[in-house]
Amino acid sequence: MRLEEELAEAMETRVADVHATPMMGSAIRRRHRTRRIRFRAAGAALATAAVAGAVPVYLSMNAGPAPASPAAQPAGDARATIAREVVVPVVTGANIEAATRKLAAAGLRSEVAGAEIGPDWTITEQSPAGGEKAPEGSVVTLTAVKTPDPTLTRRPGGGDSTPAPDPGGGEVSMPQDLGDLGDGREFGGLRIGYLPEGLVWGKWSVKDGFGTTSYSTSWREKDLKPGMYSVQAIVYEGDAAAETGRRLKGYRQEGARTVELGDTKGYLVRMGEAGRVGDDELGTPTIVWRERPGLAVEIMMSPDYYGELGEKKAEAELRKIAESVVPTG
Amino acid sequence: MTEDDEAAFDEFLAARSTALLRTAILVCGASPHDAEDLVQNALEKIYRHWSRIRHDNPESYARKVVVNAAISVSRRRRVIQEITFARPPETPIDSPDVELRDTLLAELRRLPARMRAVLVLRYWEDLSENETAALMGCSAGTVKSQAARGLARIRARMGTLEGAWG
Repeated sequence: MRLEEELAEAMETRVADVHATPMMGSAIRRRHRTRRIRFRAAGAALATAAVAGAVPVYLSMNAGPAPASPAAQPAGDARATIAREVVVPVVTGANIEAATRKLAAAGLRSEVAGAEIGPDWTITEQSPAGGEKAPEGSVVTLTAVKTPDPTLTRRPGGGDSTPAPDPGGGEVSMPQDLGDLGDGREFGGLRIGYLPEGLVWGKWSVKDGFGTTSYSTSWREKDLKPGMYSVQAIVYEGDAAAETGRRLKGYRQEGARTVELGDTKGYLVRMGEAGRVGDDELGTPTIVWRERPGLAVEIMMSPDYYGELGEKKAEAELRKIAESVVPTG
Repeated sequence: MTEDDEAAFDEFLAARSTALLRTAILVCGASPHDAEDLVQNALEKIYRHWSRIRHDNPESYARKVVVNAAISVSRRRRVIQEITFARPPETPIDSPDVELRDTLLAELRRLPARMRAVLVLRYWEDLSENETAALMGCSAGTVKSQAARGLARIRARMGTLEGAWG
């Protein structure tokens, strides 16, 4: 027999008993979801950071060397008296790369909120706004969202993931997956019984933005701009709840602070980027707990709002919100 | 992805996943367990873009992804882990055939990853030189010479044992 044939036969014998498991399909889909959750969690954390107002991480995307210190102050800073004023170009709708270039050409610097952003992300907000005057060399703060990738969005529920344009005609467009929620307190099979006084519904909601199945929405102080949040809630069901269960287990092992919530126990953590618990004071104050098997809830408070209320009051409010959550379904 | 895409992906798996797993085992010399991990990972990539790929020869695309992954895995490892294979129970342990096959496979594993991949694709998968070249991203001439060199190396090592191949 020729060597090729002998070799082929040896190979055949070697693998003849090997069969792919019938579970392959579900294993691949599970992998896919895990990847997507990680991917989307990073995006979600960014969105959170971006709308928080107090942005935990600034990734500086300066096009050139930092200008001299007076001009380096943000626009509106009273000390920036000697700088020449320039008109801020409109960069919303452009990607980060193009926006940064455009601002640099106008003599401005740019900062984009968030840690895990790509140059192709789309700018949804800028401050100061386009058309306004700002001192040359001052910083324009940009908020970016991941440009939707059609190959990654699958909505078996039939909902469309494309963010709806803001009905007010503003620059911020937030997803409206759950439609009009009224005061926003009842969604994803839960009712939030208590919210601090003065908060109004943020008029957005997302389904499966934090894993399948998950729901999220937020509330803000009345005078905050649309797109900002003061308190955000996420409901996790199904796979997303299992994923959160693993996270809770991690918190337990790390010895995270616990809070008693009726007959269950929640973890009070400062959440950093992409779902990691920050070990500094910059993270988003968060209470997360398992309401019942297959259902987990997370309540986050924007670092700004937290700072405004003060640590003691803020934690008491977070706790009160968490305690008031009741399943409706 | 539509329901139809999902169903087509399941069909694709039913038809192809065993073959892909076998290819991965032979190319990277890994245990079935490790190879399964590799194949799942490769197929997740396919799944991610399935609605586009399914209409464009998914079979050869998947084979390409799996073979490339297997090559890079076996390169990363450098020392290919020696694996003992469960022999079919009806095969007598002391059969000279079995011994010969084991030696052949051991020699196959000692070859550089790409050379091994060429031998697997040419002689086990029975692909033509052109098909193999397209899959590996090289010329048909390279496939020809890699296959010849791979066989020569094995022959040289085995020569002292058998000397029967010409």
